[in-house]
Amino acid sequence: MSGTHDHLVYMANQIAANLAMEADAVKATADHIEAFWDPRMVAAVLSDGAGLSPVAAAAFEVLRGAEV
Amino acid sequence: MTYQPQSDLGTPAGTGEPVTLTIDGRAVTVPAGTSVMRAAAEIGTAIPKLCATDNMKAFGSCRLCLVEVEGRRGTPASCTTPAEAGMVVHTQTPQLQKLRKGVMELYISDHPLDCLTCAANGDCELQDQAGAVGLRDVRYAAGDNHLGQAKDLSNPYFDFDPSKCIVCSRCVRACDEVQGTFALTIDGMGFGSKVSAGTAADDFLSSECVSCGACVQACPTATLQERAVVEIGTPERSVVTTCAYCGVGCTFRAEMRGEQLVRMVPWKDGKANRGHSCVKGRFAWGYANHQERILNPMIRASIDQPWREVSWDEAFAHAASEIRRIQAKYGKDSVGGITSSRCTNEETFLVQKLVRAGFQNNNVDTCARVCHSPTGYGLKTTFGTSAGTQDFDSVEQCDVMLVIGANPTDGHPVFASRMKRRLRQGAKLIVVDPRRIDMVRTPHIEAEHHLPLRPGTNVAVLTAMAHVIVTEGLADEAFVRERCDWDEYRHWADFVANPRNAPEALQPVTTVDPAELRAAARLYATGGNAAIYYGLGVTEHSQGSSTVMAIANLAMATGNIGRPGVGVNPLRGQNNVQGACDMGSFPHELSGYRHISDAATRKLFEADWGVALDPEPGLRIPNMLDAACDGSFKALYVQGEDILQSDPNTRHVSAGLAAMECVIVHDLFLNETANYAHIFLPGSTFLEKNGTFTNAERRIQPVRKVMTPINGLEDWEVTQGLANALGLGWNYRHPSEIMDEIARLTPTFAGVSFDRLDELGSIQWPSTAAAPEGTPVMHIDGFVRGKGKFVVTDYIPTDERTGPRFPLLLTTGRILSQYNVGAQTRRTANVVWHEEDLLEIHPVDAEDRGLKTGDWVRLASRSGETTLRATVTDRVAPGVVYTTFHHPATQANVVTTDYSDWATNCPEYKVTAVQVAASNGPSDWQEDYEALSERSRRIEAAE
Amino acid sequence: MTLVRIPDDALAVACGADRVARRFEELGATVERVSSWGMHWLEPLVEIDGIGFGPVGVADVEGVLAGGSDLSVGRIEDHPFIASQTRLTFARAGKTRPLSLQDYAATGGWKGLERARAMTAEAITAEVTASGLRGRGGAGFPAGIKWETVRTANGVRKYIVCNADEGDSGTFADRMLMEGDPFVLIEGMAIAGLAVGAAKGFVYIRSEYPHAVRKMEAAVRLAAPLVAPFEIEVRVGAGAYVCGEETSLLNSLEGKRGEVRAKPPLPAHEGLFGCPTVINNVLTLAAIPYILAEGAQAYADYGMGRSRGTMPVQLAGNIRFGGLYETAFGATLGELIGIGGGSASGRPVKAVQVGGPLGAYFPPSLFDTPFDYEAFTARDGLIGHGGVVVFDDSVDMAAQARFAFEFCAAESCGKCTPCRIGAVRGRETIERVIAGDPDGLALVADLCETMKFGSLCALGAFTPYPVMSAITHFPADFVVEERV
Repeated sequence: MSGTHDHLVYMANQIAANLAMEADAVKATADHIEAFWDPRMVAAVLSDGAGLSPVAAAAFEVLRGAEV
Repeated sequence: MTYQPQSDLGTPAGTGEPVTLTIDGRAVTVPAGTSVMRAAAEIGTAIPKLCATDNMKAFGSCRLCLVEVEGRRGTPASCTTPAEAGMVVHTQTPQLQKLRKGVMELYISDHPLDCLTCAANGDCELQDQAGAVGLRDVRYAAGDNHLGQAKDLSNPYFDFDPSKCIVCSRCVRACDEVQGTFALTIDGMGFGSKVSAGTAADDFLSSECVSCGACVQACPTATLQERAVVEIGTPERSVVTTCAYCGVGCTFRAEMRGEQLVRMVPWKDGKANRGHSCVKGRFAWGYANHQERILNPMIRASIDQPWREVSWDEAFAHAASEIRRIQAKYGKDSVGGITSSRCTNEETFLVQKLVRAGFQNNNVDTCARVCHSPTGYGLKTTFGTSAGTQDFDSVEQCDVMLVIGANPTDGHPVFASRMKRRLRQGAKLIVVDPRRIDMVRTPHIEAEHHLPLRPGTNVAVLTAMAHVIVTEGLADEAFVRERCDWDEYRHWADFVANPRNAPEALQPVTTVDPAELRAAARLYATGGNAAIYYGLGVTEHSQGSSTVMAIANLAMATGNIGRPGVGVNPLRGQNNVQGACDMGSFPHELSGYRHISDAATRKLFEADWGVALDPEPGLRIPNMLDAACDGSFKALYVQGEDILQSDPNTRHVSAGLAAMECVIVHDLFLNETANYAHIFLPGSTFLEKNGTFTNAERRIQPVRKVMTPINGLEDWEVTQGLANALGLGWNYRHPSEIMDEIARLTPTFAGVSFDRLDELGSIQWPSTAAAPEGTPVMHIDGFVRGKGKFVVTDYIPTDERTGPRFPLLLTTGRILSQYNVGAQTRRTANVVWHEEDLLEIHPVDAEDRGLKTGDWVRLASRSGETTLRATVTDRVAPGVVYTTFHHPATQANVVTTDYSDWATNCPEYKVTAVQVAASNGPSDWQEDYEALSERSRRIEAAE
Repeated sequence: MTLVRIPDDALAVACGADRVARRFEELGATVERVSSWGMHWLEPLVEIDGIGFGPVGVADVEGVLAGGSDLSVGRIEDHPFIASQTRLTFARAGKTRPLSLQDYAATGGWKGLERARAMTAEAITAEVTASGLRGRGGAGFPAGIKWETVRTANGVRKYIVCNADEGDSGTFADRMLMEGDPFVLIEGMAIAGLAVGAAKGFVYIRSEYPHAVRKMEAAVRLAAPLVAPFEIEVRVGAGAYVCGEETSLLNSLEGKRGEVRAKPPLPAHEGLFGCPTVINNVLTLAAIPYILAEGAQAYADYGMGRSRGTMPVQLAGNIRFGGLYETAFGATLGELIGIGGGSASGRPVKAVQVGGPLGAYFPPSLFDTPFDYEAFTARDGLIGHGGVVVFDDSVDMAAQARFAFEFCAAESCGKCTPCRIGAVRGRETIERVIAGDPDGLALVADLCETMKFGSLCALGAFTPYPVMSAITHFPADFVVEERV
């Protein structure tokens, strides 16, 4: 796993933590990432979700679903 | 425009009910509070004057403006006599003529008669008035005088010649009333009265003078004179334009002689600056003709080669072929561009258009990423608009100012002067800042409350303030019920009211005295019109966006939004940060903040541009660098930004740049980023082009070409050349056509055009059918998004923490005389005030390390280390150190980390855990970089 | 045991009063230090059982105690200099111990304040207006109207400022009052505070009056509980004559350069720290307790024309019997000089300068001018602060005219051009005249017109009075041939 990948996971966890107080934190996190992330960044995390917090991991599952 | 002095009605305008009086038989109606002098000037009667000027209070000292008023004894001064209904005034009678001549005779009896060789010859009020009063003869014998005194030439930009001084005090009053520095005084009394900078031991340079130029502008003689006028001569034409330094957006008159700029004089009709200036805009424009400016395009195959000068066509063709080659090899998403907040709206719009339409992806970002991107996100989320809510004039109706994470006297000096004037009138000030910034205590101003928080705890402090407001019943619930979503408010109010958010509970985190914090919160909530002014101390944190939203929450909860005197006011760092964001520079949105995924918006652009747009967001600057290190991002076009020096974690930036195959730098100078560039496109200065800048108050202002670009092309023409080499077939003949396109495609700019700007001077967006002349104050009848949104902002500490290895917190900022990476200001005489970056360290921390002021120190973090000199001061709290990032030799960003704002990736410049130790020389990085720099800047001799 | 009363006023002290007092004590007498009666030629004036002895030197003390001194002036109250006066403001002069609250109360002190406390603010200002009291600093502006302006001005905070920057040559009434009867000034300021709604007052005293500063500071401390919640603070000037001009004084009080402010705004609207401010001279404020205690009419019954009440005239210069002479307006200049016994040198009186260094010189032909604001104005003069300085026939009026410019040049704040440059050019041009250039006089006359109508404040505007009165009334002194 590259430094870049670590950084992406870190960013995703940071987003999830800051949106934790939202009514639906998972959806809020997924929406945020969808709105602001380049697809290759999303893809990189989808291919390897190690290190994601539970909310972030759930958000990426939402994004994976949306992709299909 | 042929040269003419700016009009001067003598005294400020009155504001009362209209009154009608008669002056020399003509009726004139003016607002009560208007002086007789100004009333006369309104009908074209120029009463002689010397000490009066219309941006300062009347003073009444020169005694030339005497008039007669029927029914009154004596001959009152018209500048200090208010117009009253029914007053009958005579401005020209035999007695008045005699008195004025008598006064002028006294002046001239103590003035050198060297008009023909005087720098102000032809531009001197004393000369004009001597003619106006008809003085033909000085009957006094040679006596005591002030002739032949030594000049003070200490300031690099202006001379002070006391021999020519008429002691009108205009300079002193300008320093007091306009600038608010109180550096000048009249020393002595009677005939011995003289203008003095600081104490008797001082000269202008060593005094408190900040070289704003207000005194020079105010001087009616050649006593205070721009050195350029002394050396070149008086100007013969002038062009009104907008300053290219900070986000205040001062309007200046560029006063010219041929193609030579003689001086920049603040324009009184400028709505942002109202005739004031700072040392940068007023004087620091010498970089425009600096010998280091690159005037020819250059290319090279690799960065260890010297540069080779080429024609524009060759440069464009080479750049286009490189981009197409790389896209063919690595995919269309392997290239991108960076727009500049220093460039015009039109240039910025073209660069993002080049990326979206030409590169066919959305890999475009702007330097706003590293400064105010959280403002865009936070204010869009809460209010619906990514911009400040007020105009600058609003400060004049403000009762309480909350300044957080901003240092206006250094970063936004001209607006700071307006803030200080309001504070001297009695408005109260709250400062939230780890450092004791100048505004905490400055002449005639003292903050009611200074909350010196630990860096990185803004959200905790703001939440604690909200806690006080909610739990003490100080919220404006009527406002909230009417204007905001009540359920979201309740959810937020319950959150902030939680005892864990009490100031006392958060003190261990914030280090702020809870009693002081409570008092500040009460003052903000109950002190009348309360306005929040903030800067990068808010945004450049891992919770930058949360802080912006916490600020918005506070304003909404107290009803401080939607009218003059209140609001949320981001103080933008660069001249066109607002504009660069407005123009669609972010990878996820098109101009006017419309998301790239919105099909209707895309369709509009696709129809206009004749291309298909990618619906997915592209890479942000840090993501581009990450991707470059990973090998998926290979080419970058950077216009007017020096990411190597300005972006955090320099070593990561350099690694990213080094990994690219084609870096195109479009700039005035071979900046630090250019050390890693393969193609260099010379840029033009703001003096050399037409366009618009949008300042911190959403004010779109004209930038007018005052001289021909010495590099041959305006920046928009360079981008167009590149676009056309890529086959885009652009055909803009003038930036006004670009603005027409922007207006056509952007609803909030619908009413903007160059013609309208010429007519109105400036326009604050939104400019729509409903508000054709623009919108000074936003959200008056309702929020742009509908209901104002309260967002819960839980404090989450940054992961950048102090520990045994790195026990201190570094925070960064800037200084008055230098501007950002210093590319411009370092190439001016401004270096006399700041020639190197210094590390501020508290005496206790210095003592622990055996350091004293002037010592070389090693500043190390987890990212890297650098060396610089220390200055020991209690301006910073124990445990906190501070420096600026103006000088490439220091490279403060070698030390900063790549932690960033959770929502926008705005770097966390303001919090880095560091260690400081004595040092005896540059770090390895500095030495290596110096060598690389030297190698990389070589230019092949022309054949 | 014999009770001996000896003034502790600065003038008496300068004449040796302290040494005399110590000698009386050494010889077993009980000494009480009281205020001065204001008969300067008799200081130190010692009083025993109402009988005065003066001037008493240390060597005379034994004789005085033994009853065999020829220094006796008889009953002081019956002395013609005292008996012919109408002492309202200086009613306690010579009679009370300056810092004795007991003496002050026993002599009618605080009665005015008590009455004022029972009145509305509006009624107090009406009372002052009805008394006809005009500003004693020089301008003669009706005090009641000034107070009413401040009373009705908008302002959360208002101030009372007492101008005790007594800088005119030949004047000493403010000093004598502050040293001799400080409580009457405090009472007057407290009444002013009630009248206009001010809670704070300042007394601005020139630094050349250290005794007055100490007395006032002590008196303010002693009286604080009696005038509370009104508070008074004593501030000391720094030696500039122009700080006696009210707006410079306010700047000085604010810690700024003592520079004149243009009016409007009037201090009554925007005075100290921008707040509505009553600024009155010591004698104006000290006249207030009498007016409130005895009623406006009692005060207005004295005087002539629009000059009501009494004026503490100060007789000084080359005069035989110099001192404080409080009398109802209306006495002629000649009568006052007569009371002073003519010149001290015994030579004929040539000129009298009334109203300080900026006042006009009057020749004997104008000695019939009554002491009255309007009568003096009609003769191109001013009564100013009531200083009368006598010159005998040895005076050179050209030198006096030169001095007037020199004084203006030395004391100018430097703000306005006519005063800043004009005073210097005036001195230079008079010097030309003295050196024999007769054309200079026309230029001086033009300059005087420029200064009189063009200056920002009275310093520059009134300097022409001594200059032009000297030229007009004593033309011979400006003709060189006759001088050589």
